[in-house]
Amino acid sequence: MSCHLPQHKRSVEDLFREEGANFSADVAARLGIKQVPIRNGDASETASNMAVAAGREALQRAKVDPLTVDVVVEYSIMPQEYLVPVWNMSNKVQAEVGASKSFVVGFSGGGSSNFMVALSSAAAMLSENDSMKTALLVTGDTTIPANRILNPDDPVTVMGDGASAVVLQRDAPGGVVIDTELWSDGNNHDICYIPGGSLIHPDDISLYRMQLDKARYDAFPKAETLRRMSDQLLERAGLKFSDVACVLCSNISSQDEAAMQQAFEDKVSPVCASNRESHGHLQGTDFPLNYLSLTESESIKQGDYVLGVSHGMGATAAVSLFRY
Amino acid sequence: MNANIGIFEANYYLPATKKALSQVFEDEEKPTEAFAANVDFEKDIGIEALHVAKNETAADLCINAAKLTMAKSGIDPKEIDLIIDFTSIPEDYVAPTWSAAGQVQKAIGATRAFATAVNTGGCASYQTTLKVACSLMSANDRYNTALLVAGDKTPEFNHNYFPITVVSDGGSAVILKKNMTKRRILGVEVATVGRLHDMWFIPGIHNRKPEDIGGKYPRWLHVCGDVQRFNKELIPINLFMFRKVMLGVLKQVGKKMEDVSFFVYPTFSAWDLKAFREAFRVPPEKFSTENMHHGHLQETDMVVGYVDALNAGRIKDGDLVMLATNGAGFSWGASLVQH
Repeated sequence: MSCHLPQHKRSVEDLFREEGANFSADVAARLGIKQVPIRNGDASETASNMAVAAGREALQRAKVDPLTVDVVVEYSIMPQEYLVPVWNMSNKVQAEVGASKSFVVGFSGGGSSNFMVALSSAAAMLSENDSMKTALLVTGDTTIPANRILNPDDPVTVMGDGASAVVLQRDAPGGVVIDTELWSDGNNHDICYIPGGSLIHPDDISLYRMQLDKARYDAFPKAETLRRMSDQLLERAGLKFSDVACVLCSNISSQDEAAMQQAFEDKVSPVCASNRESHGHLQGTDFPLNYLSLTESESIKQGDYVLGVSHGMGATAAVSLFRY
Repeated sequence: MNANIGIFEANYYLPATKKALSQVFEDEEKPTEAFAANVDFEKDIGIEALHVAKNETAADLCINAAKLTMAKSGIDPKEIDLIIDFTSIPEDYVAPTWSAAGQVQKAIGATRAFATAVNTGGCASYQTTLKVACSLMSANDRYNTALLVAGDKTPEFNHNYFPITVVSDGGSAVILKKNMTKRRILGVEVATVGRLHDMWFIPGIHNRKPEDIGGKYPRWLHVCGDVQRFNKELIPINLFMFRKVMLGVLKQVGKKMEDVSFFVYPTFSAWDLKAFREAFRVPPEKFSTENMHHGHLQETDMVVGYVDALNAGRIKDGDLVMLATNGAGFSWGASLVQH
């Protein structure tokens, strides 16, 4: 597993000023984000190039020969260099990391939950196809310029740039993906989306920004849904919530994390708050970043169960259970 | 993989309005580059008219196809466990942030389904999605019924995909179920040559050129192809890659090319069909051609070719059907369906 984040960071105060949003003590407390990594404008920090770098590093760390990768699974959320789905960075990643014997697949529409959609699909492909043993999951997300604050009138999060990659292998000795529960509510398919530059609004560049329907976002029972799904997943695995060592959530805001702490009985790991403060919300990279921090924190031991929970666009909710 | 997952139902929806190909060529920008194949692109393509969606959105095309297929199947939408959108061109809103999968879920009332979208493979997204869907269903007891949907609407003046094809608007849907005794998906093979990723793409509004703003053609939403690379890098490997995925899927399931009773292949052009048939020595009676008059329908070609062949009585009980296609990225895919 690897994360590739730009070195350059900007403070949230500066970003609010640039985007003409009001930054108050109340907003600062609700967000719990101090700074976010931002690409420097060089070609090396395009979304796909960061994804290539993350992919290479993850393969090196896992000591996996790129030629043994069977599938490259992509889980980005933000628009890429060219329009998806005609173009997808997974093809470039495949070529540039040297995974030339693999095929590629990418997923749209799940927001931050896209990582777990990719995880579930990759795990299913590896377990059900004898010829497949290794998957490289990868993303690179860069935010639309001047669109880092989601819903500036009543900010929900501040988005940074970054990339991550995860190597999955059948019969791997540790970090076992036990199961994933996925759920979506099509009534909220347009709760968060980018209207401009699409078929519906082809010409309107002012609409080329991520928009959120805050009233519907607030009404969606995020934490309750994720707890219900977690309980279902644990029951299927023959476990109880008391067996779970800790929970990892997305780095959206301190307000969002507080709701998760309440729903998950204060088991959300402190690494989530720490990464949120220093990186903001990095879309699908939040989970790999938090998982890596958890493993480096030495607050987890072999055999511990970890739950990853996420809610995203679509509206999609996802829960994955891991055994460390 | 669970070998009892099969195609329970499939159908497609094409908008009623048709546009003559001569009119398409008159309305759209003229290609300036030469095509390596020894053919006249406009005269020899073998497609006379295209289906054009007027006021219907891409999601409408998806939803219409899904509703037709659901009605034909008799399945209660609440039985659907998975919805996967496999549309291969830009949809109503910008991807990968948004996909039509959730809108389809809402429109058909598939309240217990999980909805997502596969956004790779180009026209081969059908095979990529089959691979993902069959794996998810095989691995999870709770996924018994899946609905695969696609809806493609090209910008008004971008139906000419020179030098490959001309494209229609339309939608398709396929219902997969477990415990099928016929129409079983025996295997799926997909291969990708990622170094060709930037040979065929759509720039997007963030890459639009100032001179294009306010003009007749929103070129930032039109496909851009590098014809020189297409000639030099894609054409030489195309049939090799088809052979690779077809032999790959046959090997997966212990079958041989001679066992294949019928081939479903995309309707890119008459010369492309001929090249494929000759390369793999497929006689005309084993080949989908009914769908040619619809024009090329991106990933939906696989569904249209299959459904049209079924309706024409060209696929019979016991037949082994090979569905093979390629698409932007570039990927090649082949799947085998046992009738």
